[in-house]
Amino acid sequence: MEPGDAARPGSGRATGAPPPRLLLLPLLPLLLGWGLRVAAAASASSSGAAAEDSSAMEELATEKEAEESHRQDSVSLLTFILLLTLTILTIWLFKHRRVRFLHETGLAMIYGLIVGVILRYGTPATSGRDKSLSCTQEDRAFSTLLVNVSGKFFEYTLKGEISPGKINSVEQNDMLRKVTFDPEVFFNILLPPIIFHAGYSLKKRHFFRNLGSILAYAFLGTAVSCFIIGNLMYGVVKLMKIMGQLSDKFYYTDCLFFGAIISATDPVTVLAIFNELHADVDLYALLFGESVLNDAVAIVLSSSIVAYQPAGLNTHAFDAAAFFKSVGIFLGIFSGSFTMGAVTGVVTALVTKFTKLHCFPLLETALFFLMSWSTFLLAEACGFTGVVAVLFCGITQAHYTYNNLSVESRSRTKQLFEVLHFLAENFIFSYMGLALFTFQKHVFSPIFIIGAFVAIFLGRAAHIYPLSFFLNLGRRHKIGWNFQHMMMFSGLRGAMAFALAIRDTASYARQMMFTTTLLIVFFTVWIIGGGTTPMLSWLNIRVGVDPDQDPPPNNDSFQVLQGDGPDSARGNRTKQESAWIFRLWYSFDHNYLKPILTHSGPPLTTTLPAWCGLLARCLTSPQVYDNQEPLREEDSDFILTEGDLTLTYGDSTVTANGSSSSHTASTSLEGSRRMKSSSEEVLERDLGMGDQKVSSRGTRLVFPLEDNA
Amino acid sequence: MERQSRVMSEKDEYQFQHQGAVELLVFNFLLILTILTIWLFKNHRFRFLHETGGAMVYGLIMGLILRYATAPTDIESGTVYDCVKLTFSPSTLLVNITDQVYEYKYKREISQHNINPHQGNAILEKMTFDPEIFFNVLLPPIIFHAGYSLKKRHFFQNLGSILTYAFLGTAISCIVIGLIMYGFVKAMIHAGQLKTGDFHFTDCLFFGSLMSATDPVTVLAIFHELHVDPDLYTLLFGESVLNDAVAIVLTYSISIYSPKENPNAFDAAAFFQSVGNFLGIFAGSFAMGSAYAIITALLTKFTKLCEFPMLETGLFFLLSWSAFLSAEAAGLTGIVAVLFCGVTQAHYTYNNLSSDSKIRTKQLFEFMNFLAENVIFCYMGLALFTFQNHIFNALFILGAFLAIFVARACNIYPLSFLLNLGRKQKIPWNFQHMMMFSGLRGAIAFALAIRNTESQPKQMMFTTTLLLVFFTVWVFGGGTTPMLTWLQIRVGVDLDENLKEDPSSQHQEANNLDKNMTKAESARLFRMWYSFDHKYLKPILTHSGPPLTTTLPEWCGPISRLLTSPQAYGEQLKEDDVECIVNQDELAINYQEQASSPCSPPARLGLDQKASPQTPGKENIYEGDLGLGGYELKLEQTLGQSQLN
Repeated sequence: MEPGDAARPGSGRATGAPPPRLLLLPLLPLLLGWGLRVAAAASASSSGAAAEDSSAMEELATEKEAEESHRQDSVSLLTFILLLTLTILTIWLFKHRRVRFLHETGLAMIYGLIVGVILRYGTPATSGRDKSLSCTQEDRAFSTLLVNVSGKFFEYTLKGEISPGKINSVEQNDMLRKVTFDPEVFFNILLPPIIFHAGYSLKKRHFFRNLGSILAYAFLGTAVSCFIIGNLMYGVVKLMKIMGQLSDKFYYTDCLFFGAIISATDPVTVLAIFNELHADVDLYALLFGESVLNDAVAIVLSSSIVAYQPAGLNTHAFDAAAFFKSVGIFLGIFSGSFTMGAVTGVVTALVTKFTKLHCFPLLETALFFLMSWSTFLLAEACGFTGVVAVLFCGITQAHYTYNNLSVESRSRTKQLFEVLHFLAENFIFSYMGLALFTFQKHVFSPIFIIGAFVAIFLGRAAHIYPLSFFLNLGRRHKIGWNFQHMMMFSGLRGAMAFALAIRDTASYARQMMFTTTLLIVFFTVWIIGGGTTPMLSWLNIRVGVDPDQDPPPNNDSFQVLQGDGPDSARGNRTKQESAWIFRLWYSFDHNYLKPILTHSGPPLTTTLPAWCGLLARCLTSPQVYDNQEPLREEDSDFILTEGDLTLTYGDSTVTANGSSSSHTASTSLEGSRRMKSSSEEVLERDLGMGDQKVSSRGTRLVFPLEDNA
Repeated sequence: MERQSRVMSEKDEYQFQHQGAVELLVFNFLLILTILTIWLFKNHRFRFLHETGGAMVYGLIMGLILRYATAPTDIESGTVYDCVKLTFSPSTLLVNITDQVYEYKYKREISQHNINPHQGNAILEKMTFDPEIFFNVLLPPIIFHAGYSLKKRHFFQNLGSILTYAFLGTAISCIVIGLIMYGFVKAMIHAGQLKTGDFHFTDCLFFGSLMSATDPVTVLAIFHELHVDPDLYTLLFGESVLNDAVAIVLTYSISIYSPKENPNAFDAAAFFQSVGNFLGIFAGSFAMGSAYAIITALLTKFTKLCEFPMLETGLFFLLSWSAFLSAEAAGLTGIVAVLFCGVTQAHYTYNNLSSDSKIRTKQLFEFMNFLAENVIFCYMGLALFTFQNHIFNALFILGAFLAIFVARACNIYPLSFLLNLGRKQKIPWNFQHMMMFSGLRGAIAFALAIRNTESQPKQMMFTTTLLLVFFTVWVFGGGTTPMLTWLQIRVGVDLDENLKEDPSSQHQEANNLDKNMTKAESARLFRMWYSFDHKYLKPILTHSGPPLTTTLPEWCGPISRLLTSPQAYGEQLKEDDVECIVNQDELAINYQEQASSPCSPPARLGLDQKASPQTPGKENIYEGDLGLGGYELKLEQTLGQSQLN
């Protein structure tokens, strides 16, 4: 096809070519769109011709139509794939030239937008050949319908429900209809890899260090933001009603629903820039952790708001019982999904531990993939939220299973999910661009849109600043003002908000929400995403902090690294104060869960009480005894995903690695010396101290191992 | 009232969606079980049941459970509605049910006799995929992987034979099966089991063409594991890969063969049109696939995308997929396009990728191939019980069994005889027997058969195909190891060892001359292609090969300078190795055990010999006559490989 062909000279010579060549790339979608238009016109004319045929040719016509529809499916998928290809090439160009004002997702949206415009205004509308017939003998809809048309039987499958007012405007353009996906595709195919990857690549050390704050932001913050946005929007809706701009019903629950979906922040752009510039690790962990958990909370929140159905006639009034039921649903779904995800993660860990599957990396990878996918399906089948389950499954897999995998499988799974994540994300964003023009039921309401913009900023502010204040009361290592501003600034909306909004666009209110969400996503990704780099320098946020290099400078603030010196006491206290629940969890994890689920950790026979010795011996893997030499055992425990799972396509991370390796080479020796002396301590001493040592060693020993590998 | 019905339908939809999840979950569990069982088998070195066979067994069990343990639900949805107002079937139907409008999408046409009570069982119905899924989702990765992992050196050595088997062989097999089946159909009509007008000669040919797609995945896996003679391996693998492409296009052109007045009689014009279709589609798909691969090669060559392996992998994946979709959109066969795309990608693009991307793409496609293959075989097991329109006809099945053996024999023995006339290195009898034995049927035959199951003959074919696949995979697949020993075929020939032998043996004059002649005789065309490829295509598309400025004539100097990458000048020495590594043994299925041990000796050997023979060899390439040049090149190639190891 020409577009791809044309892409070659455009970007091909760009390495040494003058900047004007750059302008060629944006022209390509135009070409692509033109090609599509021709294809659509051809198909329209051919199907039109088919329609004119006499009834004798009916069968042939239907068959032709099916073939034609398959061909159009191919064309529409091809559109997206070529869009993605273009995006990749442009990203490369941007990365190559270190252009940071536009992220790949923003770019994908722009390309999608261009093709959307062409499709919308360039393709001819095909005749609406849909017929409405009334069936009197039925009182409900079946998923399949068999229709007898003049002696021939046809099978129809249920596609969806249409509100009566929309019948006339049902998509008349075949091409537009083809490029509009079933919204469930997002939830069932595109989101799971994104979310799983997020869970799988969570930088665990920093994440667990800030877990309290992250949880507070994610749960409390999302709830606060949802209510504030909901209330503000309710005010806006009231205003619109007064001004007579509202043509259909818009209830308070709808406003809350909008609040819930728009609370799902997705600062992928900001995070990518952080990752590239190596911005402060804590800020990164806070933002990333918040956005990941945020999504989970927002999904469950929105589904429990949908489930909020008060008894009695007035279906949209406040009802305490129904409210508590909604809260119950929220908690039920959330914990159910959490359990489901964690359980499958644990099962995978056990399977990979007790079978010698690691001799066959392909089988191992396949098993890993299938188990993780099963989590999603299982949760969906049980009525929980698959996406949430997948998130926690990813975290558990990274925490336990990852240690049992063979080295090859580790890189395989990492890379597999990375590619899937990358493709899915860019696909969603280019679809968003397309949807602005190809989605046919947009309701643009300026007041609502302006209100929404104001509301999300207020909601974000009301969420970040007070919570940070409260958190700072408890935190030793305060969240600085510049961090707070940056977090406030990073309230981008992305794939999750879009997917939630497109899921249900049946009613007028939902359509208005969808349009508004789309615009908010565009605005935030382009403007805020583009403004990240200036904002970082304006707020004086440290950049160039490589996560691997991080511990030494931060030595004094939170973590004991050497276990001696004046700072250790303070750091020790910080740790004890801020996260004693976590310490408890951590030691439990280290003493019991890790040995049960992985090949590492102390053997269970030493940690479990004597009376369950048989069980302990049964569950402890032989490696643990062999690896009693602390050096191997302890550090394999901790490597996890620290630096491994970072996005590898960030440029110039290599240099930092080199410098840190020389730095850590010396300290690793020291560390191992220390360890010999302390290994007995770990096992015999009280939990708190032992744990302290372990964690301090963990941070140390990450690097040598990584360098060797 | 309105709300109630809405809630009802919402619930319905809810149920609907969850059914989808359950259905996929069943497959997931089946696959997980299969994986664990495979591991157990591999661990204990059982070779009588391959993973695909295992997947089928599990599918069968699950199908049995689903069929007899689930209660038929919702019989009502089997009722047929009469519509007098409609004169044709629109693609979208809006149905107004008590003031609520539902949109229905056209799915398919069913013939009257298929509307049986089973239609009501929702789970069974859910478990039946849309057949197009096989063609659009599951087969492409399998086929692409096959193309991408073709072991090129042996493949090109035996290309003549492989092409003969694939094209001529498939055509012969198709016609022989078609004729035998026509005989059986006539017999069945005599026996009163079939009405006269039902089963035409074109149907028989259709069956013949879909049955000609051999898929000896089981046998190949065992060969790979036991390191059977690489020539035999390549012959079988190459044949099966190209075979699939030929069979798909053949099936398609037979199915659109429709003479004007008498729809099922023989018509010369229509026949030639069919042949034209075949050639057109095949050539078109080939061109489409190669074009996309060339675009990918150029893109990866001229952009420095290799700095970002993930982008590179993404691009590679997307463009390969585009080849499929473009071919489908243009009315060609996507699978064939994907196959040739894979071959070309491996030949050119693979050299431009960064080493990280090489591993990534390899692993990605290997993984997808594994999953897709096992899903298909699982589904086959499942389909035996969950597919609702089986027609078991003992006579037809018996005939089909007979026909495929006769056809396989007609394909292998005469062709081998003819080929042996031209080959210096004969295909011995035991190889021929083994190839005859390896006529397994697999995923492609199944996918082709399930694509159209509307009429009665097609359903009969589907059932028969299913049984044939079961039989061949279990019995032949299980019998491969005994057969190998019985036929006294060399096993334990490691590919790497073979490589090691090659250079050393080729230095012995006698052997050398002999092989040289073989090559010169059997593949003159290929030598020409090879030198063209080496001199022009490789330098244009990859970073390797001689710089274009030296190979192209003077007058196109600027173009050649533009197209030659700076590396080609700089790394004259390194260049030749890079060019030839391709994916000889790298792309091998690497979940086989302990293949890594023989890696070190050839590496050392390669280093030893690197200095001496290569430098004189290079001048030969540029100055010597084509025959010698081609030969030396090959020698260097093997050297290059072992160095890389």
